[in-house]
Amino acid sequence: MQKHIAEIYFSQLRGKDICDNKGRTVGKVKDIVTLWTGGLPMITGILYSEEPDKLIPADIVQNWDGKQVILAESSEKINITQITHQQLFVGKWLLDNQVIDLKGYKIVRVNDILLSCDEQDGKQRLSIIAADIGIRGLLRRIGLEFLASRLDKKYISWQHITPLEKKTGSLKLKLDKDRFKKLHPVEIADLLEDMDYDSRNVFFKALGSEQAAEAIGKLKENTQVEIVTRMDKKQAAELLEDLHADEAANLLREMPKEKAAELLQLVKKDKAKELKWLLHYKSDTAGSLMTTEFISLPVTFTAGQAIEHLRRFAQDAEMIYYLYVTDVDEKLLGVFSLRELILADQEITLGALLHSKVITVQVNDSRKKVAEIIHKYGLLAVPVIDAEGFLHGVVTVDDVLDLFMVDRTLKASMSRYLNKRGLRRK
Amino acid sequence: MKTFRVFRDKIIVFLSIMGPGIVTAFADNDAGGIATYAAAGAKYGLALLFTMLLSTVCLAIAQEMSARTGAVTGKGLSDLIRERYGVKWTLFAMSILIIANIGTTASEFSGIATSFEIFGVSRYISVPLVAFAVWILVLKGSYNKIEKIFLMLCLTFASYAISGIIVGPSWKEVLIASVKPTFIWDAEFLLMAIGVIGTTVTPWGQFYVQAAVVDKGINASDYQYTRWDVLVGAFFTWLVAFFIIVATNATLYTNGIGIETAGDAAIALEPVAGKYASLLFAFGLLGASMLAAFILPLSTAYAVCEALGFEHAVSDSYREAPVFFGLYTMLVVVGAGIVLLPGISLYRIMLTSQVINGVLLPPILIFMMLIANDINLMGEYANSKLYNIVALIFTMVLIALTVLLLVSAFVPDIFNILLK
Repeated sequence: MQKHIAEIYFSQLRGKDICDNKGRTVGKVKDIVTLWTGGLPMITGILYSEEPDKLIPADIVQNWDGKQVILAESSEKINITQITHQQLFVGKWLLDNQVIDLKGYKIVRVNDILLSCDEQDGKQRLSIIAADIGIRGLLRRIGLEFLASRLDKKYISWQHITPLEKKTGSLKLKLDKDRFKKLHPVEIADLLEDMDYDSRNVFFKALGSEQAAEAIGKLKENTQVEIVTRMDKKQAAELLEDLHADEAANLLREMPKEKAAELLQLVKKDKAKELKWLLHYKSDTAGSLMTTEFISLPVTFTAGQAIEHLRRFAQDAEMIYYLYVTDVDEKLLGVFSLRELILADQEITLGALLHSKVITVQVNDSRKKVAEIIHKYGLLAVPVIDAEGFLHGVVTVDDVLDLFMVDRTLKASMSRYLNKRGLRRK
Repeated sequence: MKTFRVFRDKIIVFLSIMGPGIVTAFADNDAGGIATYAAAGAKYGLALLFTMLLSTVCLAIAQEMSARTGAVTGKGLSDLIRERYGVKWTLFAMSILIIANIGTTASEFSGIATSFEIFGVSRYISVPLVAFAVWILVLKGSYNKIEKIFLMLCLTFASYAISGIIVGPSWKEVLIASVKPTFIWDAEFLLMAIGVIGTTVTPWGQFYVQAAVVDKGINASDYQYTRWDVLVGAFFTWLVAFFIIVATNATLYTNGIGIETAGDAAIALEPVAGKYASLLFAFGLLGASMLAAFILPLSTAYAVCEALGFEHAVSDSYREAPVFFGLYTMLVVVGAGIVLLPGISLYRIMLTSQVINGVLLPPILIFMMLIANDINLMGEYANSKLYNIVALIFTMVLIALTVLLLVSAFVPDIFNILLK
């Protein structure tokens, strides 16, 4: 039978005297340790002296919430334990440190820690229930909480916290992979923005390469470059494979040439070939913005064959709503939409289905011009051709979207001077 | 051809990492810096050249330590203080930073007011207007575009070097004065010495250089370049100060002209610009002051918010970031407000704020040393013993000077007593 006794803050617990069952003082609460393994984080030991690893096991505590922490045994009988690798110092590694808030998708600093004291089998047990991230927590630490007594308390429940730190010393925290699986790439990008580069690398290792790639695609180019240059080479190559071709090429274009060449050698052959091809285009032109992962269909296909083709290749294509029709030489002949294809008679040939007047841009057209055309005609994508009319790729609207958005955020204004500059998203 | 490419790529790597140290060093020569060095040269001739050399060594050590800590830990100084020493010490360090930076911001606005007064514009018009412009430009994010203009204006201070060379002082004498320990036992000199140190090595500079290193994503393996960046930056700081002192010594000290207002420091530029000396000076001062007036309040508010855990509040809208926004506004308003107090001497504000910076520096230096010595954090990059000894001696000297200064405020005769 478990009974809730009280809630206490770590700031109130720290510094309390520890007494044995005869009332003799054993030490002071210097820090407490917890097992952070996925379940409710129970407090498992107390650091009570100057010796850095020696702990009083928490299961002999009789009473946590009084003026003193009272033990159920006499001081001679205490079985002092050592800290283990799974255990984590609450005061040293959590308090005042940054943690990941999985609910708000941001990095927050822990001002205080809320502990729950429950009674089970006549003994009190302590567990972490939330991190206090509010001003009240901050003021409590300096004994001035009354100043903010009208403010709401701001907690994040332990279920939504993941410690960010990797820390040196015996303690290496593993990030809980499953908890990140559910996050949207944009939310991950939000978190990445907040992190310093060390944490970022640890975070990437915890995410799969695919999930990492999607999130990185949402970040600004110079942040991407920064992250990738600091990655393990093999990891970086994997990431390049998972990124969309246009994004990967843009990334490589911004990197020092030697580094880019080095990474390209580690990338799978056909992807590397594609990337090298894309790298020929000048930066900020239609050629550099476009993706080569689109669907182009031979004019000789029937609608039925086209659908069959789509089933096989649509998975890897960035744009499938516009379908481009080419002749045998890859010259662009026309376009039709997915809707038109689905509604069309299975036997009709694409030559009869296509619209031959296609809005296009030239390989060397500027980013601005591409954006203007996409905007003017209300397109989701625009094909990129050269002077002879050969189809090179497709620029999708999301690649030029940022030109339409006026960036007036506070972060933008601080970009040059402050931490995490250049970490604004696209 | 290939060697050229390799070389070029190396240069690119170097340039991409260069910066934080040099930028901070240039920002150190702001309005307060110019005023202090000019006053030092005008009042004591070459006597403070040695102090300048010392404080340059200190600057190099302190900046190197901050930059190294940033590169190894990937964290800002305020974060580390918070994580290592908890809320109380963080509040203490942040209070120091805020007080020092209010002083420095006021000194930047004094610089702005002074340069506008040279153009004949009253400070009661120029300061509120510029303060508002700074405030709104930063929040609108259009500051980056005009930054280069101010940087160009700063280059006019190169004219001190030309002036220093034109007046042709006895270089032998100058060089001797640069390395020969000189100390005059009176409170005024002491004040000036602390001011010179305080304007060269600032609490603000330490936070800034570390944050900038972290921002650039410089890590331990790139650090060798950053070390050079910091050293080159410190050298430039010294060079500018050196020439200002040499020029003011030759033009003002030798002719017995004291400096009453910052504008008087322009006289030292007459060998270069003749009757246009004041204009030249005003442009330079304006550039330097504006640069710092933009950066200071913003970076202060950011450091404080990050340390106290309001970083999540620095979001996309000002309404969601009341602490950050409030702090930033407060710094601009108070900094500018001080300058508008009736009857206050602009020049005094500049000098005093540098002394305040000097007095507040030791606690920050101590935090930096503790952190840079933390093996858990720094691993093999922790401070070496020799390094610690030099840094410690310097900190002690600075504390001793500060204590002496405080005592002299209450016991004016302290120097006579000590000398006996």
